[in-house]
Parts: sequence; structure tokens; C-alpha cells
Amino acid sequence: FFARWFVPCLFAMQTPLCHALPASPQELALEIKAFLTGFDQTQGRKLSVRDHARCAVRLLCTVPACRGAVLEHLREVYDEYVAAFLQDLEVEGDRDGGGVGANLEDVVKEVHAVLSEFVRLNPKAWAPLVSAWAVDLLGHLSSKHAGRRAAPHSSSLNELLQLWMSCTATRCLMDIYSQCLAAMLAWCPDACVDALLDTSVQHSPHFDWVVAHIGSAFPDTIISRVLACGLKDFCAHGMTGSEKPSQQAARASPNPMMAAVDKSNRVPKIGSVVGILGHLASRHSDSIKRELFRMFQDSLSPSAGQTTPGWEVTAHLNRVTVPFLLQLIALSPTLLGAVSFELVDSLRPPLLLQLQCQLQGLPQDEQENLLGLAVHLISQFPAGGARLLHFLADTATPASVIISGPSPSPHDGVRECCDRLLQMLLLHLHKLVYSRLDIDEPCNPSSSLSTPVRVIPFLEELQSHVAELCGETLRLERKRHLWLHQLLCLLSVYGGPTVATEALCQLLTLARNPEELTLASQLYAPLSVSLPGLVPAALDRCVAQVHTQNLSSRELAQLLNNLAAAVHSQEEDAKGPGAGQASMAAQVAAAVPAHLHNFCHLLLHGDHAVSRSAARLLSCSQLPHAASSSHLVQISRAAVAHFFLALRQRGLSGVSDGGEAVSYSMRLLARLAAYSPLALKSVLQQLVEGALHKGNVDLFGGQSQGQGGGITPSAAVILDTGSSLLDINCTFGTTVNFAGSVWSVFHAGEVGKGLKPPSNSLQPDPDRVIQNLQTLLAITIQCCTSAGAGSGANGGNGSSSGTLNGSRHNHGGETLSDGPAPINAEAAKAVAVALVENICPDVANGELAWPPEDHAKTTVERDIYIRRAFEANPVLFHLLRVVAAGRPALCYCSVILRALLATLLAHWEASREPSVLDSPWHRPGVLPPCPPAWARASSFLLSSATSTSSSPHLTPFEVRLLLVGVWEYMRGNTPVPQKFTFSAEKGLFYRDFSRDGDVVRYVAPIHSVLHKNIDELGHLCWRFQN
Amino acid sequence: MSDIRHSLLRRDPLSAAKEVLYHLDISLGSALQAPGGPPALEKATVDLVEEFIFHASRERSGPPKRMSCVQELQLLEIMCSYFQEQSKDAVRQLIFSALFGLQGNQADDCRMAMLGKLVSMGVAVCCVPILECAAAWLQRSHAVCCVGIARVLVDDYCTLVPGSTSTLQQVFSASPRFCCQFITAVTALYDLSSEELTPPPPLLEMVVGWITEDHRLLLLTFLNMPLTSPLPLGCLELTPLLGLLRWSIKAPLAAQRKRKHGLTNGQPEAEKGAGCEELYSKLHLSVLQVFLMLQAHLTEKNLIGRLSVLQVDHVAALVEEVGRLGEELNPLNAANHIQLALDRMAQALQVAMASGALLCTREDLRMLCSRLPHNNLLQLVMSGPVQQPHAPFQPNLYPHIHAPRATPLAHPAHVISPHSFHPAIGFAYRPIR
Repeated sequence: FFARWFVPCLFAMQTPLCHALPASPQELALEIKAFLTGFDQTQGRKLSVRDHARCAVRLLCTVPACRGAVLEHLREVYDEYVAAFLQDLEVEGDRDGGGVGANLEDVVKEVHAVLSEFVRLNPKAWAPLVSAWAVDLLGHLSSKHAGRRAAPHSSSLNELLQLWMSCTATRCLMDIYSQCLAAMLAWCPDACVDALLDTSVQHSPHFDWVVAHIGSAFPDTIISRVLACGLKDFCAHGMTGSEKPSQQAARASPNPMMAAVDKSNRVPKIGSVVGILGHLASRHSDSIKRELFRMFQDSLSPSAGQTTPGWEVTAHLNRVTVPFLLQLIALSPTLLGAVSFELVDSLRPPLLLQLQCQLQGLPQDEQENLLGLAVHLISQFPAGGARLLHFLADTATPASVIISGPSPSPHDGVRECCDRLLQMLLLHLHKLVYSRLDIDEPCNPSSSLSTPVRVIPFLEELQSHVAELCGETLRLERKRHLWLHQLLCLLSVYGGPTVATEALCQLLTLARNPEELTLASQLYAPLSVSLPGLVPAALDRCVAQVHTQNLSSRELAQLLNNLAAAVHSQEEDAKGPGAGQASMAAQVAAAVPAHLHNFCHLLLHGDHAVSRSAARLLSCSQLPHAASSSHLVQISRAAVAHFFLALRQRGLSGVSDGGEAVSYSMRLLARLAAYSPLALKSVLQQLVEGALHKGNVDLFGGQSQGQGGGITPSAAVILDTGSSLLDINCTFGTTVNFAGSVWSVFHAGEVGKGLKPPSNSLQPDPDRVIQNLQTLLAITIQCCTSAGAGSGANGGNGSSSGTLNGSRHNHGGETLSDGPAPINAEAAKAVAVALVENICPDVANGELAWPPEDHAKTTVERDIYIRRAFEANPVLFHLLRVVAAGRPALCYCSVILRALLATLLAHWEASREPSVLDSPWHRPGVLPPCPPAWARASSFLLSSATSTSSSPHLTPFEVRLLLVGVWEYMRGNTPVPQKFTFSAEKGLFYRDFSRDGDVVRYVAPIHSVLHKNIDELGHLCWRFQN
Repeated sequence: MSDIRHSLLRRDPLSAAKEVLYHLDISLGSALQAPGGPPALEKATVDLVEEFIFHASRERSGPPKRMSCVQELQLLEIMCSYFQEQSKDAVRQLIFSALFGLQGNQADDCRMAMLGKLVSMGVAVCCVPILECAAAWLQRSHAVCCVGIARVLVDDYCTLVPGSTSTLQQVFSASPRFCCQFITAVTALYDLSSEELTPPPPLLEMVVGWITEDHRLLLLTFLNMPLTSPLPLGCLELTPLLGLLRWSIKAPLAAQRKRKHGLTNGQPEAEKGAGCEELYSKLHLSVLQVFLMLQAHLTEKNLIGRLSVLQVDHVAALVEEVGRLGEELNPLNAANHIQLALDRMAQALQVAMASGALLCTREDLRMLCSRLPHNNLLQLVMSGPVQQPHAPFQPNLYPHIHAPRATPLAHPAHVISPHSFHPAIGFAYRPIR
């Protein structure tokens, strides 16, 4: 501020002094002599620096011929001033800075005032002169004193600027230069910018502050002029000279920087253009960008005036503009960055046509060069690469009726060009990517840290667009997907595991059909060499996505389906000859098992498609070799739950592929069951539990109300009314559960209102019930048998007992035609235990040994409960039969059998009907009339002697007698598993009844009953003869 | 000579130049003493001068050692004081032409630049010998070079350094001969063919000042010139008369053109044309008066009708220029200016013909001016004196008009514009840096 205020003052003071000199020729001659010799003859003494300078200024004002010499002399004055200034800075504090610098300061200002007035008065004559002088001097000063201690390093532009602008000499020079420039820009902008560029080249790093200052003072002008100068220079030097090195740089030159330096030597202007624009880019990048685009557009705008005289020159310039711009951008990453993002916006179809027309005029090799350069540039794009790629692909895609893009289809030539460009780009990237790898590979891990990995900005940027790329690739549009697929490959190789993983993951997620899925495997094929462990990583990522719930249910289903398809195809491949281990399918198949527990919760996904896909995947993939038990339980729980869901789904109309889901589910369960005893047990337990679950009973023709018995009535009431727990607790006697004790109350109904009405919930379709039952039993039996086969205990094809098959045919009309594999004892035991646990409300008196018959009176309530459970769930009988088939598992169901027998006994004892036929309990479907007989038939628990077929001709009393006999027998011969022996040749357990001792005691009532009804039961007598 | 050269090569540029100057002085001075007229310059001497004073690059010696501007100034100062102190006019002339005589080689550029500075400095320190020598040089040299020197002076004193016109002004008193040549060169330089070639107002003012002060100034060279000696090819005209006429005639048109351009360029030009108008008008009057004076001189030397001071084809060129300029301008807007120009031309033609400075028939004149727009006065001049009741000049003085013959001074085949490029003398003036 001070200087600005001060200079005009000085100016006003100085100007008249300068002009009013009485200048006689003789005086002037003396003055010249004094100036030349540095010696004042009139006073006879040597001139001081200051007086010398004054003398020079006077000469400048009076003798025009001395101009050059004076300016040259002033250079030294300025130089001396700057040196003193810097020295003052360096020894600041040591002495008060009143040395030479202060002496010269007013001279410097005087010079500035004089020159500035000259320029003001006659800019046309003086501005070129002074500006050339000033800029040269500035360059000289700043490079000469760059090494001084006080001078900051040339890289810190701001400090440099601060230093020099605080120095009076350089600030004055700068001011005068700005003044000149402001004057000259009006009429010969080229010349002054040329001079600036030349000087900038000469004093390259040290002069930057000048350019920066000037550039920020006249940004628009400087930018456009600098560009124009560069263009002109480029035009003059011809493209051939400059193109080749860049071409080398574009091709695989090891060090692009070297090539750039090389080139900038050859074409000096463009180098400094780049430098200057680089400086200005930080603050005026918008202007630069605008200017570049303007040049580009202008050069392509149809040349309106062919009549104007200079049109040939402009046409030539226009032709050169595009190569020039490319060259320019190639040299400066900053400019590239400034341009890259918006380039695509400017490429509209008409412009493209123009561009193509123009470039066609070039000779073949130049076209090639340009293409190469463009490719190189694209590969260096820091931003906007994705858009550009999109644009290129759009333009290069052949016009078709199917694809109707937003923009009208371009000219064929343009399309071919783009096509070519794209292919070259891919090739180039390919080279870059793989040469990068080649460089990296031979290095040791330690040295690879030191060698910087070459960065390809284009690919860097695209890394964040992998998902879009994948999406587009999967559209399978003609050539486009080939390009993109190739690009994906390169990107994956470039980006390493993370990108490759993401790409693969995306493809797996987004592929909708086998064709699209092949893209994934095609992507994997080239990558498998360089990126081991890709598939597991991809799966990890998929799982992570599943967990974070980023995927829509559609995508989720796709993903699961694709994985399943891959696994499935691998299975098929493995069957065929020459199964490649390296294929993606194999890898997937190997990797999926580790994540099964992650997928299993998807079985219960709300979307049926997802759950079905999950089931499919789980059903076809191997279980992990060493799965933890918690995972197994988790999986089995989910699998069973899904099974019931699938059954329900199958029943619903509108779900077309319910059967498929069920079959997946069954396969999964079978696989699980075969995996390990633990899994088997878990599955069976879950199955039984599920079958009896309140929500599922209707699937198997059961009634849910039976389950309500598990809850105490008061609790049920409470639950219904929803009153507060405090109220309940305050009411005496309600908090204690008396169920099962002698105080318990039977709720058969209310007095005066009769029995409780049986809840007639709507019965499901019997066919469906039968189907469901079949499915359930099939899977249960499959589980049981497969476990036997898997464990190897019952390895051989055990001979099936005829009675077993026969009994099956007897009951329920179900025809299970599965293989003859015997039921595994362990499996059957698991089912038995599960049954007991689920049906039996308490475990009191749950031991295997049978108590005396009277003892049953203490367990009446429990017995009734169990009987009701059987009434409500017909499936229980079938399950019980399964248990019975797996000897000796039925032993564990003693409690249940006892309960059933006890209720029967009580029933028949109380029955007053003349014949069994009249009893309401004899209705088929409600309860099989004679469970012990059924038990006898299916198991060797009871001796054949006590077995008798129920007859409709017996009286209830007789039936009771028989049943009591059975009970007695059971009490006498406690059914425990220890009584069974394993028969190795048959693979089954057998019980030797001969060791039971005397059975006559139990057979006697039977004999008497037979005798009494000999007419009807005579045919049975032979069975009890021995 | 090669010994000298080798010894000089070892020295710094300034002292070598000084040495050459000294050598030149000795050898030419002694040669002048010897009988047999002025000696021819030796080739070796010229080479030395070129190498060590003008630093023309010798192909074998690599990059020449250039003097710095200060050293150059020192050299100029030495030359100045040398010429100042050299008492013998002949030696002065000889050395001057040895130094600055154009050789038609590439050293001429440096020679011209140096000469420009020397003359400029001579003007500043009022070194009469140098100005005299320069005047002689201007007479002998090609117009292009003379124009270059004139441009240097004009740039230095009229445009670059404000307020230094007065320094140039005093040339008039110091060396009228140089002054006359300078005016000729300046009129050749500024032919008003474009805006850049319009004389700067300070220059105009100064020239008009000189002329009004002493009309004879314009005829100085013409009168001092021995009529027998042929003029060198392509040199300046003997008098600045035609050039000055061109100024005064074209000035109104040029001013109008400038105004028009100023309008189209959107910059309202400051109205300082009024002063110039007056100056041009003054100039016109002076030139006409000089014609009258010329008639007296011609009559005195009995050259009437034998010597055409104004070349007919130069005049024809002027007429054509005026016609073209008039067409360029919108005749509606610039009618006044065109009429003024034509009036002036008619006056000038009439006076020139009448005074015998222009040898031309009325028929030729009519043909010449047939393309021009209508102008009453011009019409009158073309139609000629039907009757001259009070004609100031005797009609019998006209017979020579009908029989033009080649005069020793006329070189119609070599009408060379000072601005046209001449391959032999590739001189292009650059402002010093």
C-alpha cells in the first residue's frame, strides 16, 4: 500500500525534473562521458552507484541513443539492489538495514517512475521495449539469486512470490511489466506472451512466480494467449517432430516422464505452455478448461468464412488444434484432470462428424499417432473415465433397432473410429496391466516396496464403477459386452484381489441365467492364474453382502441360484471325464460348504424365491468336512423349518414350484442326516418337534386344540384376558400349577352345558394331508435309513421282515415304496426320545420298567393328555411305527405305550356296551382299536403268544381282560434294550423271547377268551397252543 | 592484415574496435596524403571493419563476440569525439564512408543499426561533422536505408522520449544540409499509405516549423548538387517537394480514413486533427511558395524546361493514390475532404507546371486526372488557360512542355518506393532492445 501511494508522489515530483533538464549538447556530451567512465569530470570525483544510476536516468530522458546502454546499466543497479536486499534479509538483526539497499531504493523508484511514464505516454513504442527488458531482467534476477540463503526453494511458489514482491526492485519491475502487458495485450498479445514463454523456458523453475503473478493478473488473456502461442508454435514446428516422442511415451516406454522431458526440449513452447497452465490451473482451472474447450469447439465449428483472406491459415490451425490439444494434455496431468471430466459432454454427434471429417484429412500415420495418443490419454484419465467409456461404448455399438439410445445413431465412420479406439484402448490397457505385472513379479517382496507401482488412472477410477460395468456387461449387447468383459478382466488384474472379488461377486449376484453366468466363469478363467483364492474371497464378499442385507431379495435369489448352478454343474462335470479342478464351478463347489451356516438362515427368508434358492444351494453342496456342532444344529434347525414351510407352500395354490422346494428340502435333510450322528439326531428331533408343532399339525390332519392341554387352564384364561400378572398373583391358588397331580381338574365341560364342543377346525384336503404325511414319513425314514448306511453299522442290505411290510400295508393305506434299507436303531431311538419329550408333559414315572396296573391311577391326567395328543395328531402313530421298525427303540417309548394302554384299560373297563363294535372308540381313524396288537405286530416286545387280533366280536370286558394280560406280561418282562442282541448276518437287533420264562401265566386269560368265543376265534387257537 | 586480425582477435570487443578505428585513421589519412585522388578502400580493411566493429559473423569464427550496449555506447562516443576532433573534412568523409558505406552484404544490418545510433547521438550532442557526413551518406545511399535512418531518428526523438523534439529541432541550425536530407527521407518514409505511415504530429510540427522559417531549406540539396553527376541508383529524391505535396494533399483523406477506422473500432479518436489540419495547410502554402522560388532558381540557371524537378510518373502515382483513397472513403461522408485534397492537388499541379518544376502537357494531365472525382478547380487546371489576360507566366515558357526529353536526373525506370523490398539491400530496421 505504501508503495502504491508513494510511487505517484515520486512520479509527480520526478517527471518535471526529468523533462526540464537544461540540455545543451555540451552538457549532454559530458553526461555521456560521465556515464561511460563513471567519473564526474566537472567535479573531479568518481560517481557513486547512486549518482551513476541517476546519471543513467537522465540520459534515458535526454539521449535516445543511450537507451540500450542505460537499460543495461540499470540491470546491474537492480541486480545490486536485489543482492543487497537479500543480504539484509540474511543478516537481519545483526545491523540496522540502512546499507546499499536503502540508498538505491529511491533510484529504483525513480527509474520505475520514469519508465512507467514513458509507457503511459507512448505505450506503443515503449511497452515492447520495457516489457522485454523487464521480463528478461526478472528472469535473470530470479534465477541468479535463487540459490541465496534467504531465497526459498523454487518449489514453494507462494513463498517465492512473497519474497520477490516484498523486494522493491522486483516489485517495480513486476508493476512496470504488468503495465506494459496491459498496454500491449490490446494490439500485439502474441509477442508479449511469446517473450514471457521464452523467458519462462530459459529460467524454468525460478521464473515461475512471475508467470504465476502475471497469469493471475490477466488470467483469461494469458491463458488464451498462451494457448494460442503454443498452437502457433506447434503448427510451425509441425506435428511430425513432436508426435514421435509422445508416441513412444504412449507405447510402453518405461518412464513417461523422461519422454516428456525429451519432448519438451524439442518443442520448447509447448513445454512452457504446459508449465504456465499448470501454475494457473490451481486457481483458474475453470478458465483453462473453458478455454481448452473453446479451442476445441472452435476448431471444429464449420469454417464459415472461406471468403475471408486468412481462411487457409485458420483452416490449417484448426486442423492442428486437435493434435495440439492432445499433445498438451498429454504433457500435463493437471490439464488432463481439468478436461477429462467434461469431455464427454462436449462430444455431440454433429461435433463428432466434424471431427471425423477433419481427422480424415490427415495422413495415415498421423492418424495412427493421434489414435495412439488418445488411447494413452484415456488410460491416464483421472476422472470421468467411466462416462467416457460409456460414451465410447455407446457410440461404437452398431446401430440397431433394438438398442435405442438417448442420442441418435452416429455416422458409420464415427462408429468405426470409436470401435477402433476402444479396441486399441483395450489393447493398450492390456499391455499396461500385464507389463506392470511383469515388472512387479521378478522383484522380491522387499524391493517391490521400493519400486513404485505404476498407476493407471483410468483403471483406478473405473474401480469404483465395477458394479455398473458388471451390470452393463450382463446385458449381453452385441459387441459391447465383449469389450466390457475384457475391460473387467483387465480391471480385475489391475486392481488385484479386491476388485476381482467385487467383479466376480457382482457377476454372481447379477447373472440371471446360465448364459450370463458363463461370463463369470469366463472372467474367472484368466484371473485364476494370477489371483489364487479368488473364488473364496468372492464368496466371502457375497456372504458379507448377505449379512449386511445390501441385496434385494431378487438379487439374493439370483446369487443363491447361481451358486447352486455352479455347484451343480461342477457335480456334473465331476462325473464326466476330464473334470477341470481349476474351473470356477469347482472352486465354488469347494468354497461354498464353508459358508453353509451363513446361508442357512436364508432358508427362512420371507421371500419364497430366496428360500427356495437357498434350499437348492444347500441341498446340492457338500457339507463342510469339519463342521462345528453349533453350525450343524443351526443348519438342521433351519432346514427342518424350511421343510415345513415348503410343505405349506406346496399346499398353497398359486405357488407353482412348491414341489421343487420340497424336494430340495428333502434332499438337504437327507444329506444332513447322512453327515453325522449328531446331525441326524438333530434333524430327527427337529422333524418330530416340527410335526407336532401347533402351527404345523394341520398339515398332517391334526387338530391344534389338542396342544392347548399343555397349558394350565388358568394360564390359558390369563393369556386370553391379558390381565396383569400382579392380579393373578394376588388371587390365591392360581399361581400353583396342579396339573398332573391329584388336585387337577378335568375340563370335560361345564355343568349344565354338557361336554366341551369339539373344536371342528376346518379339515384340510385329505389328499393333501396324505401327501404331506407321506412326504414327512418318507424323509423321516430316509433320514433313518441313510444314517444307518452312512454310519456303516447296518451296512448290508438287511432283509426286510415281512411283517414290517405287511403291517405297513395294513395301516392307513399308505404305500411307502422306498428302498428296503432297515431303519437304523440309533435313528429310531432319536425319534423315540423326541416323541417322548414332545408328547409326555412330565417325566415323573417315566422309567422303562412297567409298574403294576393299578399304579396307572396316579398318572391318569398324563395318560389322558398323551391319548389326546395321539387323537389330535394322527401322524404320531406313523412315527411310532417308524420307531417300532427300528428295534429296540420302542423300548424308550414305554411311557407312551403305558399311557395308551392305561387309557384303553380305563375305557374298556368303564364301557357298558354289549359289544366292542358299539363303542364309540372303535371308530377307525379316531384311535386304532387295539394298540397293543399293533404294537405286537410291529415289534417283538410282546410274545406272539399274547398277541391276538382284535375282534369285533369280543365284549368290552373280554377286551379288558386281554389288555390286562398284556400289561401283566409287560410288567413281568420289562422291555429294555439290553434284552436285544445284534444279529450280524441280518444287520438287525433281535430279542430272544425264549428266555422270558413261563408265559403260560399270561396266556391263560387268552385261552379262556378264546374258549368263550371259540366259534368266532377258533382260527386263532393254533397260535396259542404251545 | 592477417597479423592485425590475429592480434585483434585476442582483445576484447571494445578495444579491438578502437584499434580498428585507429588503424583506419592511420591508413586512410596517409593514403589521402599520397597523390592520386581519393584511394579505393582495400577489401581487407572493409573486412576488418565488418568483423570487429559491426561483428558480422565470419563463418569460421563461431559465434561472434558481441559488444554489450554499454560498450557499444562507448564506441559511439569514441567515434563521435573522433569526428568532432578530426579537422580534415576529406578524411572525415572517407572514414565515414569506409565505416558506413553499404557493401550489400549481411554486415549492412549492423552497419545501419550502428549508424542510426551514431546519428541519433550526433543529434543529441550536436556533433556537426557527423551530421554533415550523414547528410552526404543520405544523398548517396539507397532510399530504403535512408528511410531506416530517418525512422530511427523519428522514433528516438519524436515518439520514444517525450519532450526531446527540441533536440532534433536544433539540427536545423546545426546542419541545414542534414536537415534537408532528413526531410526528404521522412517524406519518403511517411507516405500516408496507412495509419502507421502517418507522420507523427511532433514531426510534422517540426518540419513545418523548419520550412516556414526558411523555404530554401528544401532546395538546399538540389542547389548544392552538381547537375552533371548522375544520381546513384534508387537513392532519395533531390527535393522533398513531392513528398511534402503528398502529405498536404493526402492529409485530409488520411485523417478522414483514420476517423472512419476509429469509428469502426469503437474508439473515439481524440480530436487533435484540427492542429494538424492547420499545419498541413501551412505546409501546402510553403511548398507552393518554394515552387515559386524554384522557378527563380531555374530561370537563373537557365534550366527551365530542361529539368523536371517533379517526375511525371511520381506525380502520376500520387494522383492515383489520391484517387484510390477517395474511392475507399465514402464519398458522401468525406466529400469535403476529397474536395479539399483535390483543390490542393489542382493548386499544386498548376503551380508546379507554371513554375516549370513539372514538365507535362495538358493532355497528359487530363488523362492522368480523368479518374478523379469532379473538382471545379482541377477541371479548370486541366482545361488549361483559355486566355490568360493577366497570366503571371508567359505562355511561351510552355513550349518545353510539349517536348519532354530524358533529363540526366530522371530515372523513370527506377521508381522505387522506399518501402518496397529490395533484395540487394536487405535492411530492416529493428528498434533497439
